[in-house]
Amino acid sequence: MVTAKASAGIVLLVDDDQDMLNLLSKWLEGAGFTALMSCSGSDALRQLGISRPDIVVTDLFMDEMDGMTLVTRIHDENPLTPVIMLSGQARIPDAVRATHLGTSAFLTKPITKDAFLEEVHKHIRLGRREDVAAFARNIVYSSDVMAELLEQAELVARGDVTVFISGETGTGKEVLARAIHDGSNRRQHAFIGVNCGAIPEQLLESELFGHEKGSFTGASSRHEGLFLAADGGTLFLDEIGDMPLGLQVKLLRVLQDFEVRPVGSIKSVPVNVRIISATHNDLESLVEKGEFREDLYYRLNVVPLKMPRLAERAGDIPLLLEHFLAQNAAKTVTLKKRFAPDAVAFLASAVWPGNIRQLINAVELCTTLYTGDIIPLAMAQRALRQRAVHIKTLKDAKADFERDYLVSVLRISGGNVANAARIAGRNRTEFYKLLNQYELDAASYRDSANPADSD
Amino acid sequence: MNNRIAVTIDPDLADLVPRFLDNRRRDVAKLTDLLASGSFGEIRMIGHSMKGAGGGYGFDQITYIGDAIERAALAADHKVIQAGIEQLADYLARVDVVLGA
Repeated sequence: MVTAKASAGIVLLVDDDQDMLNLLSKWLEGAGFTALMSCSGSDALRQLGISRPDIVVTDLFMDEMDGMTLVTRIHDENPLTPVIMLSGQARIPDAVRATHLGTSAFLTKPITKDAFLEEVHKHIRLGRREDVAAFARNIVYSSDVMAELLEQAELVARGDVTVFISGETGTGKEVLARAIHDGSNRRQHAFIGVNCGAIPEQLLESELFGHEKGSFTGASSRHEGLFLAADGGTLFLDEIGDMPLGLQVKLLRVLQDFEVRPVGSIKSVPVNVRIISATHNDLESLVEKGEFREDLYYRLNVVPLKMPRLAERAGDIPLLLEHFLAQNAAKTVTLKKRFAPDAVAFLASAVWPGNIRQLINAVELCTTLYTGDIIPLAMAQRALRQRAVHIKTLKDAKADFERDYLVSVLRISGGNVANAARIAGRNRTEFYKLLNQYELDAASYRDSANPADSD
Repeated sequence: MNNRIAVTIDPDLADLVPRFLDNRRRDVAKLTDLLASGSFGEIRMIGHSMKGAGGGYGFDQITYIGDAIERAALAADHKVIQAGIEQLADYLARVDVVLGA
């Protein structure tokens, strides 16, 4: 991939006249751009996939594929790519058609250097790479599919529109939602996420909209609700497809009026919240089955973004492995382990039904169970076979280890606390505290041969 | 009498200009052949390219000649195309490149 670091941007020039390509390229390079040349539409489409230019400049009148067809094909792939069209003839119908197809400018040849460069400067996605890189600083990726998604998400973040994120479980929908919040003008306010499928209907209503004291049994105090808690910020409604129908009506009302009425209250309170919702379900089919309100679906699905499956972004897997290995090493304060090259290749070609969440588990399993520095292929294969294995948190794992250790020491010392404390390198008071913490009784480790504790 | 034509060219284009002019000289031969065979579509393409690039390189006259050839090709006007080819050949024979701002 061509990088734009030392360049004012990458411009893909398309013309079947080599003299014209040479001329425009010379002008662009003189102005600090990186110019790429394609002598046909099909070659340009190939280049687009490789070099991801910041703008395309194409001639209209070309032999094999004309400029109009090329613009359409480019925008089929990425509607955000700006295209300038050059034509030898100033024909209004061509200019109108080019504009309808989404070209940024329609210029007539011959063109002067200054006029050409002015148009390129005007329409190039200035600083887009840097913007997207800053927006996605917490997201690990190198694949085109993610680059395009994040480019769209970065644009969406700047506005205030309602966003709907679809994608399988474990693909990182909440990570994207948080990035959109962090990239928006609401970043100084709260980002609050709620899993609509994990909370019973009555509780979810109270969680979302709040309740007054005494409004139902157990409502011993007033509860503000997540809409009000997220006021000025973003409310992330995860697994929206699992929201009960009764509550969908109430949510729709809030989205229409931007007012919430807490349970048991007669007053509505205005709220200013951006809604990002997500689901792993096919919401359209839920609408067809009558399990999800169509009006709410359209209210939520203003800007749809789709998180790809991990297998669809397999090129990111080596980077993700590195990222999670580093994260794991930092968490456990150990040296960072690595996967052997054949293990990386194996993991990069795996199916990953559990997506990134499964990959995180696999990395944790490998780093926990494998004591060497370079995790071999066999360990990676084992991790995928045992993807359902529950990995304890570090805290729980340490607690288990500590308890087992204390039991061993008590056994060795025959239940003699003074000796056990000495072996463990602790004083007796500290040792007793540990025994209490793990509810261990030293007496139960005394045997007949060693009946008396010396303490 | 000095019948040379001095054209001032952007010095940044100095390395490109010889190739550009060589290609136009080739165009003279190509256009002559194409006119003989009545290939007006291809003549139009060449005229179109000359029109588009000529002025950009600093050779406005090539743009004018190219435009005339393109239009004449659309109308299958043999005479005007022939005149255009001759004008182009004459211009190329007399043009002197001067590098300057």
